Amino acid sequence: MKLALQLNKIEYLYDYLSMGVELFVVGGEYSMQAVLKLSVEEIKQVKEKCNHKKVYVLVNGLYDQYEMEGLSLYLKELNGIIDGLLFQDFGVLQIVKENKYSFDMMYTPETLNTNGLSINALSKYGVTSAFVSGVIPLEEQLIIKEQCSIPLMIKGHGIEYLASSKRKLLSTYKDASSKDFSTNQTLIMKPRDSDFKCYIYEDQRGTHVLSYDRLYTLDLFNTLKVFDYLYIETLMMNENEAVEVVSLYSDALKGLENGRYNKEVKEFLPLLKKLNSSLTRGFLFDQSVYKLEDMRKIDNERNQ
Amino acid sequence: MKEISKIIDGKRVIIKKPELLAPAGNLEKLKIAILYGADAVFVGGKEFSLRSQASNFTLEDIKEGVEFARKHNAHIHVTCNIILHQDNIEGIEDYLRKLDEIGVSAIIVADPYILTLAKKLNLSLEVHVSTQLSSLNLKAIEFYHSMGMDRVVLGREVTFEDLKEIMTHTPIDIEYFIHGAMCIAYSGRCMLSNYFSRRDANRGGCSQSCRWYYDLYENDSLINEEGEIPFSMSSKDMSLVHHIGELIELGVDSFKIEGRMKSLHYIATVVSTYRKLIDAYCENPDAFINDDFYYNELLKSANRALCHGFFYENPTSNEQLFNLRDEHPTQEFVMRVLDYDEKTGMACIEQRNYFKVGDKIEIFSPSHENIYFEVQHIYNEDKEEIEIANHPMEILYVPINIKVETNDLGRKVPHD
Repeated sequence: MKLALQLNKIEYLYDYLSMGVELFVVGGEYSMQAVLKLSVEEIKQVKEKCNHKKVYVLVNGLYDQYEMEGLSLYLKELNGIIDGLLFQDFGVLQIVKENKYSFDMMYTPETLNTNGLSINALSKYGVTSAFVSGVIPLEEQLIIKEQCSIPLMIKGHGIEYLASSKRKLLSTYKDASSKDFSTNQTLIMKPRDSDFKCYIYEDQRGTHVLSYDRLYTLDLFNTLKVFDYLYIETLMMNENEAVEVVSLYSDALKGLENGRYNKEVKEFLPLLKKLNSSLTRGFLFDQSVYKLEDMRKIDNERNQ
Repeated sequence: MKEISKIIDGKRVIIKKPELLAPAGNLEKLKIAILYGADAVFVGGKEFSLRSQASNFTLEDIKEGVEFARKHNAHIHVTCNIILHQDNIEGIEDYLRKLDEIGVSAIIVADPYILTLAKKLNLSLEVHVSTQLSSLNLKAIEFYHSMGMDRVVLGREVTFEDLKEIMTHTPIDIEYFIHGAMCIAYSGRCMLSNYFSRRDANRGGCSQSCRWYYDLYENDSLINEEGEIPFSMSSKDMSLVHHIGELIELGVDSFKIEGRMKSLHYIATVVSTYRKLIDAYCENPDAFINDDFYYNELLKSANRALCHGFFYENPTSNEQLFNLRDEHPTQEFVMRVLDYDEKTGMACIEQRNYFKVGDKIEIFSPSHENIYFEVQHIYNEDKEEIEIANHPMEILYVPINIKVETNDLGRKVPHD
């Protein structure tokens, strides 16, 4: 298992390289939920500095027809510079296939990669790697790994995706309510009568909702090691937290390689919790329901 | 691009009429949708379908629906649009084969495994790419075409300008939403329900968390105090009733109405309104005037407030619902006609909501103009006269002095 990370600051690139990060995900002109928005030239420089490590670009929006011409030119520019794309719009895949570009095409729809047969089906149409959905239990993620022949990435640490909308939901609310607040910042949103907190922010691609709690898996490497990449999401982390988190995961990974993981992780875990106490297991040991009888049961439990 | 219209006897007429595709949550609604003018109806099966709270159809129900549709020259599409998890995979192949044997015209699919499996099985039915995959551009459509898919249901985010471009070049059929509720997030990409309620939106358990009220905090201080307009992500429903002509001229293959969980009255009202609108436009597009008649007809059923969705541009605050839960119809559905005796002028009806002697009723129908009458008498099954009809589904008799038809529906006209 190799460490992957959304690059949050170019200046830390050498630090991350020295920690053993093998794959860097960077944001660019067409990215959604990216920490950085790098120009093609900056992306090129990152790749040059990375030497033999991999650089992937987030081209992970859902694109309107009017954007496609520009997107097509952008992909042409990226071709030959970087190693892969994280995408969810099959329009992106179609452009890459038509032009025979050499990217690793990592299908990253956040919510959809929930079984192995579907990923295998897509691998016949140009998908060359996939990011496993975070809304399924670990047990199911492992079955997917057994079933799939293409490389798989899983979320190892960081906030989780909840939703994205093309609408400007904060601006429209501001307009309707005449409340005085800035829509150029990240706000905290809480459903009334619930303790669940999440981030909400707006950008040119619309509105994004993300979990406030960070998923953590530092102590699960004995199980997770079968996956190809463990991804650290740095979105909503400050610079210090990101570096410290990557350092701990990197050390734990080294521990796994040299047989000291089981002992060392007991020391690492309290350090991780010190960095940010809002940690969660997400759906790793939980299950969402959809059958009417199961939903009624949950609703009844909540109302008691 | 296909030919949309041609001149016949000196008058331009539309020759490529779009399919009107309606939802149905049970067999009764399916039949009403077809009787009121749907060219095709989409339904969900007990398995592999979203909207787990809709009644949903057994294979026997689907078979009966297909047979009914055939008799009326209509088609049945079945939604197999869940995103599969590991424990949902068993039985899918057998299910698809059975749908094909039954004579279902198309399945609506979101999961890539089902998409490819359906093609691999060489079934006669068409495979339509669900809106759950949020297809917004031509390249994505071309991708599905390369997989052998027959139709793409576009994401509701597609604007009219983008649709024009798509319709000019698309290699396969396009289905476009014209009416109904809207997801706030990109369809298939929303996990609000999963996180807030542990209910899986992509397998039919959506708790509609986007319509809840939320507190917003800026640097730990609450922005929206109690009593002020609460923050919600809820959208008004979409209606493109004013744009049907433009969409017909683009050659859109299918117009979709959303709402498998909607009532019988809603389905009859919405389907019949769009049926009349499409037919009137296609017959004489250059002389067609889209006044408020059709819009007002739609308001007679229970919609949320209506808007244009993404048709023009990104929705503004006018397209959002803040502190509003306006789903009241302007008229209440009170009866369904089961039979009419022309000799006595007596209608046998099934009561659906409270009405009484003295109420004014509007009867609407797929086969005639609306009829208005005042209730003079009501009789129960024992032919005893009663003043008030307040037992749902009770069989009653009401004299109506103008001929009505079986399956006509009656709604109460509000008092001035």
